[in-house]
Amino acid sequence: MTSASTLRHKAEAEAGRLPPLLARADHLAGTVLLGDHGRRRAGLGDDFWQYRPVQQGDSRRLIDHRRSARGDQQFVREREWQIAQSVMLWVDRGASMRFASDDSLPTKADRARLLGLASAVLLVRGGERVGLTGTNLPPRRGRNQILRLAEMFSEDAEDDYAPPEHRAMIPHARALFISDFLGPMEEVEVALTKAADRGVRGVLLQILDPSEEEFPFRGRTIFESVGGSIHHETLKAGELRQRYLDRLAARRDWMERLTRTTGWQMGLHLTNNSAQSALLWLWTALNRGA
Amino acid sequence: MMFTILGIGFTAPWLLLGLAALPVLWLLLRAVPPAPIRRMFPGVTLLLGLKDDEQVTDRTPWWLLLMRMIAVAAVILGLAGPVLNPKTETAGSGPVLFLLDASWAGASAWARTSDLLEQQLAEAGRAGRPVAMMRLTQPEEPQFQNATAWRTRIAGLLPEPWQPSPDQIAMASSALDGIPAGTEIRWISDGVDYEGRDELIAAARSAGDLRVLQSTREALALRPATFEDGVIRLTIIRATAGPSREVTVLAQGRDPAGTERLLASATADFAAGETEASVDLSLPSELRARITRFELQGQRSAGAVSLGDDGLRRREVALIAGREGHEGLELLAPLHYLEQALEPTADILNGALLDVLPANPDAIVLADVATLSAAEEDALTEWVDDGGLLLRFAGPRLAASDVSRSDEHPLMPVRLRAGGRSVGGAMSWGSPKELAPFKEDSPFFGLTIPEDVTVTSQVMAQPDPTLADRVIASLSDGTPLVTRKALGGGQVVLIHVTANAEWSSLPLSGLFVEMLERLAVSSATGSPDAADLEGTVWTPVRVLDGFGLLEDATTLPGVEGPELVSAQLGPDMRPGLYQNEDRRLARNVLRPDETLQPATWPADVPVEGLGFERERPLGGWLLGLALLLLAADVIATLALSGRLTASRARSGGAAALLALCLLTAADPAQAQEAETDDLAILATDELVLGHVLTGDPEVDDIAQAGLRGLSDTLYFRTSVEPATPHGVDLETDELAFYPLLYWPITPDQPLPSDEAYAKLNTYLRSGGMIVFDTRDAHIANFGTSSPNGRKLQQLAAPLDIPPLEPVPDDHVLTRTFYLLQDYPGRHNGRSIWVESAPADAESVEGMPFRNLNDGVTPVIFGGNDWAAAWATDAEGRPLLPVGRGFAGERQRELAHRFGVNLVMYVLTGNYKSDQVHVPALLDRLGQ
Repeated sequence: MTSASTLRHKAEAEAGRLPPLLARADHLAGTVLLGDHGRRRAGLGDDFWQYRPVQQGDSRRLIDHRRSARGDQQFVREREWQIAQSVMLWVDRGASMRFASDDSLPTKADRARLLGLASAVLLVRGGERVGLTGTNLPPRRGRNQILRLAEMFSEDAEDDYAPPEHRAMIPHARALFISDFLGPMEEVEVALTKAADRGVRGVLLQILDPSEEEFPFRGRTIFESVGGSIHHETLKAGELRQRYLDRLAARRDWMERLTRTTGWQMGLHLTNNSAQSALLWLWTALNRGA
Repeated sequence: MMFTILGIGFTAPWLLLGLAALPVLWLLLRAVPPAPIRRMFPGVTLLLGLKDDEQVTDRTPWWLLLMRMIAVAAVILGLAGPVLNPKTETAGSGPVLFLLDASWAGASAWARTSDLLEQQLAEAGRAGRPVAMMRLTQPEEPQFQNATAWRTRIAGLLPEPWQPSPDQIAMASSALDGIPAGTEIRWISDGVDYEGRDELIAAARSAGDLRVLQSTREALALRPATFEDGVIRLTIIRATAGPSREVTVLAQGRDPAGTERLLASATADFAAGETEASVDLSLPSELRARITRFELQGQRSAGAVSLGDDGLRRREVALIAGREGHEGLELLAPLHYLEQALEPTADILNGALLDVLPANPDAIVLADVATLSAAEEDALTEWVDDGGLLLRFAGPRLAASDVSRSDEHPLMPVRLRAGGRSVGGAMSWGSPKELAPFKEDSPFFGLTIPEDVTVTSQVMAQPDPTLADRVIASLSDGTPLVTRKALGGGQVVLIHVTANAEWSSLPLSGLFVEMLERLAVSSATGSPDAADLEGTVWTPVRVLDGFGLLEDATTLPGVEGPELVSAQLGPDMRPGLYQNEDRRLARNVLRPDETLQPATWPADVPVEGLGFERERPLGGWLLGLALLLLAADVIATLALSGRLTASRARSGGAAALLALCLLTAADPAQAQEAETDDLAILATDELVLGHVLTGDPEVDDIAQAGLRGLSDTLYFRTSVEPATPHGVDLETDELAFYPLLYWPITPDQPLPSDEAYAKLNTYLRSGGMIVFDTRDAHIANFGTSSPNGRKLQQLAAPLDIPPLEPVPDDHVLTRTFYLLQDYPGRHNGRSIWVESAPADAESVEGMPFRNLNDGVTPVIFGGNDWAAAWATDAEGRPLLPVGRGFAGERQRELAHRFGVNLVMYVLTGNYKSDQVHVPALLDRLGQ
């Protein structure tokens, strides 16, 4: 299991390659907390707020050279915060995520946590408030939140397929669900409709292992879930391939229909692809918003 | 009785019925599907409810089934005991007696004989016939036993190195009389005739039904080698006058290191129809003396071996006289009679004693030499210790000298009285003395003493407790004539008269020559006859076995001299090498004039060859085939069920990987070798500084960067232009390429192995320098209070390190390039330690420096973490901060200067030290 510190380190490394991610501020009134709004905080806006010394993690292009040239120290020009948004993450902690078909590939859980935390880092750097769905870790801002997220991510669940957590969603917030979505579809539907009811929009990212996408099996095989709760025996695995792929496509179709109706977006990521591409997609998806 | 199909017999034919079960097995195997694989797969939820189209499993493919069938069939056939070339002829009944010549003549074909016996015994065993065996060279009462009991004893039946003697034949004949009637006698003959064989044939025919099995191989034998007129004559004989044939004779002997090797070889040609061939071998005497045996190539028998003895070698005798350079009559020359006596049989060396000793002569004769210089005495004593024979003759000088007068001289066997005595002269009473008969324990025992040998003068031995033991010949009045003592491995013999005829008539007689022979000063040429050996006892040293191999013979009793020459070979008189005193005599299997006759048999006795077709059991091969097929089946099954190809399958993949590894194992080694060569070329092409790899990547990187920085500094400021420094692995890399090794100490680096320490010591002795850096700012002062200090003590303990001292102010290191007072690195510690100056180094008036040790100190110990101060990155910027501000940069600069001085010191040695002499030189130049 990845420890919290290494997970955070890797996530920082991923996040360091992108400019800060700013979620689009829509549904302004719903998420901006009253006391925090106004001219007393740095954030996205057109008005100058303050110069602050460069911190580790700041991109070089953020450096304000006019100010920096007047002294030895380098400064970043911050603008007034105008809108902060809450983003809620749900990263599947089920046993089915702890699977990799090859030693050279990361497990799905690893990749999901990495992407989740990288997005969180970007969002926090952009001044957003990030938390988990449910009551465990409500959205907060600040770099300490990253640490807490990393800690929460390093816990595993026992169940084979964990249902999406949809309690305590903040209305009009944004959400990011990362899972393989191989579990029962009803739970996903419930979570998404409930979110849509509250005006929450977001992104579904399906993470699959290449073997789950291709089904390269032959011969007499007993398939088992990772937790061992479900078995399926077949005499000719090769014969099942087409039907398995059909079912996978059908599930994806259904999920896309669901996201369309609820105003969400959906993405697919295979663990043998680079995490960077997935993060890029997440960034544009969160930025595009709805 | 065996069941036979297509020429293959089966010992257990009923097992073949198992083949009928194969079709059933086929059906069974087809019906049973291969075992399922359990796979972890989270997508299983999507599979739930999917039914297989057919309810039939993947069938086992027909070729896999066929392979399994063949494997099972091979097992069944293999267990049924198939035998190729089964013996099906019907054997007779009644007991069988095997008569074996078992002489040297059959030794070459003995392996065949054993195989034949084995097969015949197996046959007799199957027929249940009792069997007895009798070797004619070692006849015993025949014992009829079960054939299997005899089969275990075949390995112990060996040929003897002689032919059956009349006694043995008589014994065998009487034994044949006692065997039960109706016995079948199979005589395995060596094909060579010997005395008394006809009687034996008659006895055998009367005792039972005689069949003869005779080897078709031609028996060859080598007569004893003779040495005449400077060449060795080797004669080879054969029994039948067959077609022309070439035979190679090998001369084996010991090389100077004592290893047995081939010294020479010669080829003899038998002309067609001839039974004798000979070849002459001409060898230098040094080589000839080394020959221990001659043998015929490709013949493993005692008859094909001729052992070399003293007859082949001429001894080297050095003659040294005391009156060298004095003019005198030829017949009075002290060495004249010795030369006459020795010339026919020995090589005589003349020259100064110290000149002839390196030639390591067998004997040295000192004729009337009294005193020797200390060096000569030491050399001579050493030579005698190593087995030399020193023969001294008395004479006027010895009698007049004080040698061995009060104390026994090491190179004299006895103490001597002053002056000697003279009897039977014109001015003395008494008559010349004669020799007393030789005692039994004397080496001269058995020699006849001519009447006319008289002694008129002699030197007299002091009566000592040991005198009686040392006298080996005496005069009729009991005074010693010849005395002898052992000294180390050799002996010293003193003959109490002169070597010429001045004092006695002994040198004029034949006895003189015989005595020299017995003392092994000279060696007899040709083979001695019985009379020569009268009175001697010869102990066997090494004896031959039937195959012509020498075996140790120290347990055998000695043989009388005449017996050795004349007695017939047998268990009591084995061929081999015999020794008496220092003489060696070989008794060979053949006599010098012996011939071989082919064995002939009466016309009605059936004679067969030894050839037969061996039974070959095939069961093992078939079972092996079955195993191979089953192993192939395992791989094929794995491949079929997807375990070999799928990436998650470890077992099959690992097996395939293993096979690949085995196939490609040679390549990495070669690659590594090439890499080592490249490294060596790199390191020797240009000057390269080295640092010892500690295993701590951080320290190693800093050391590398530090030496890089130092190399750059050297490049910019001096004419030393080093290449990129190397990290040196003490275990694998060659150290000699690096003039300087920088060794940072880390507390947890492994201790080098013993070989690495050997390399390091060689490196230090051959002019290399190691700079040890504890990197701890020298706080421990090389005590054990810092972990690095403790580690340094451990690391340096096995090294060959001279006494050390802190660098003195006038050390060369302070001025090889820059003038330095201290040696800072990243730390500015107090002192560094180098090899201490010699105790006698003193400062000279008017010279700034003492003339210190001439060489370069092999080690420098310090703790200032120089590498960190030198370290630069690839662009030449310092890697690590040193001190603060300008003072820190100054310290870094001084560190670099120290590095420059260090490298200069390593490369130029004490060159700067020689500057001490500059004032003197200038003074001289300016007159």
